[in-house]
Amino acid sequence: MAVSIEQRPLAVSSRRGSPRPSVSVVLRYILITVLAILVFMPFILSFLGTFKTNPEVTAYPPTFLPREWHPENWAQTWSVEISGAGQYVFARWFFNSFWLAVVNMVTQLFFCSLAAYAFARMRFPGKDLIFAFIIASMAIPGAVTLIPGYVFFAKLGWINTYWPLIVPKLVVPFGIFMLTQFFKSIPRELEEAAYIDGASRFRTYWNVAMPLSRPALITLAIIQFQGSWNDFLGPLLYLRDAKLLTLTVGLNFFKTQYAVEWNKILVGSMFNAIPILIIFFIFNKYYMEGASYSGLAGQ
Amino acid sequence: MATSTTVARSGTARQRSLARREALTAYAFIAPYLIIAGIFTVALLVYAFYISFTDLKSSLQRSSNFIGISNYINAFRDSEFQISLINVFWYFVIVTTFQTIGAVAVAMLLNAKLRGQRLYRTLFYAPSVASSAVISMIFLWLYLRTGWINYFLGTDIAWINDARGLFQLIFAPFGVKITSTFLKGPSITWMALMAMNIFTTIPSLMVIFLAALQDIPSYVYEAAEIDGSTGLHAFFNITLPLLRPVITLVIVLGTIGTFQVFDQAFIMTKGGPLKSTLTPVLLIYTKTLGEGTSSNAALAAAMAFILAVIIFFFTYIQRRYIESSSERF
Repeated sequence: MAVSIEQRPLAVSSRRGSPRPSVSVVLRYILITVLAILVFMPFILSFLGTFKTNPEVTAYPPTFLPREWHPENWAQTWSVEISGAGQYVFARWFFNSFWLAVVNMVTQLFFCSLAAYAFARMRFPGKDLIFAFIIASMAIPGAVTLIPGYVFFAKLGWINTYWPLIVPKLVVPFGIFMLTQFFKSIPRELEEAAYIDGASRFRTYWNVAMPLSRPALITLAIIQFQGSWNDFLGPLLYLRDAKLLTLTVGLNFFKTQYAVEWNKILVGSMFNAIPILIIFFIFNKYYMEGASYSGLAGQ
Repeated sequence: MATSTTVARSGTARQRSLARREALTAYAFIAPYLIIAGIFTVALLVYAFYISFTDLKSSLQRSSNFIGISNYINAFRDSEFQISLINVFWYFVIVTTFQTIGAVAVAMLLNAKLRGQRLYRTLFYAPSVASSAVISMIFLWLYLRTGWINYFLGTDIAWINDARGLFQLIFAPFGVKITSTFLKGPSITWMALMAMNIFTTIPSLMVIFLAALQDIPSYVYEAAEIDGSTGLHAFFNITLPLLRPVITLVIVLGTIGTFQVFDQAFIMTKGGPLKSTLTPVLLIYTKTLGEGTSSNAALAAAMAFILAVIIFFFTYIQRRYIESSSERF
């Protein structure tokens, strides 16, 4: 479990054969570079677009670099005023998205790891059955339950509050599944020693198992932070006041209000994309591990 | 003074009480999950299933009556629901096919003996961390009549507002006019959204394939080479069969994802033009939250369960088919 990609032997051993790169290798490099640029192009073009005037950003033929640079577009969008939400709506939405993602991430790390520890290390009746339920519940199509759930939350009086975005996500099956696999992969000896020394189960979990699981916890934290930060349908369903919106839904709301101001819409998109891209570039090793975990989940 | 027998008995009693204590602690550890799953998975599903048999029109309505399976019958008769199912079927077929093939191709390309592999992998993966909202906004701009896509392709197409269908376009030169909504195929706008989705999903799937490719030990290829299997032959007879579990996974995940497509259609087209990008989840959303006469929460719940059954059906078939065909190897 959790073998990082870096440790895996490459399928094709790399430093063998002629030192001179062959034509096909050069071609491959060119092809890959072109593909990488192509994949990034939408972001490069829209990033450059954020500095253009509004007539220029929609002009034909489109310009690659702005004729004049207008960095003030960023400040203007950040502080833009929307009726019903006041000034600095983007700052507000940014903050809403951020704390919601942090709350989701922290509660999931704690409750998922707690449950996962029980599944990996302890014996109790019904364990296999409950674990099978966890795996089965991962297969329930999300959107399918989310929308009929709206009526359920309406009866609870939770519409236009953050509760539907926090409480059902306090602990998620994927997190339990992933951490159970990880806990099983680390040696028990240290925990047993602590347990025999008289530490309680909770202390063994908290002081011994958790510190050993840092890589898996970081991977899960990133996956869940990103999931919450990027979520669109959930906030769209449950949040009504413009003030309460998160960045994704706020961006869409902003588009309906400022439909023709493409330079500002692109700036707003950057507010959403740039933080997650920065997190990606810092923790990119853990992302790759997350990808192999999602591979495990389906097998 | 304890005799040896009482020691033994108290030993087992002690073990039993220890086991009981451990079970109680374990239940305490999983209690948060059991409570949350009990309410927000089990109770919520049961409640949603119940309302699909009632005449509940909106979430504001106080009481509702049990009306049996008529919502399910009405769902199948609902022309919008029929259109949305056809739309999403095209989306599922085209997007899962192209994104899987594309991801395998890029992964094969990246799996070669190249330096700076990590850098390329990072660059390829980066765009897929952006939210669907951002992707939709950026592509809405790229797809403008005066936008970059038309500029690159040298075309002048209103990508986001063109209801002409694929088969209409193919058969038009032969003088065949298709007017039926069901036969005209996916619209240009719908295909523009598909292209966007394929383009942005390939990189993240590619990373999954790459991890799997690197798990194939090199001696497999070396042995095959001795037997005279290289190039395309080795790809179809060694690489593909070994990738089978991952391909299954990617197709199953792709199926679940594509059948529930919502964000892009909601942000970019609201289901238009001429309902050609209306998806089941978008329809279920409007029927649940819609105001006035269009709102029908019970019908929407029935549609949601029908969609869930369709998704289970397709993923089940895929697993069965791919597993049974792997027995030949």
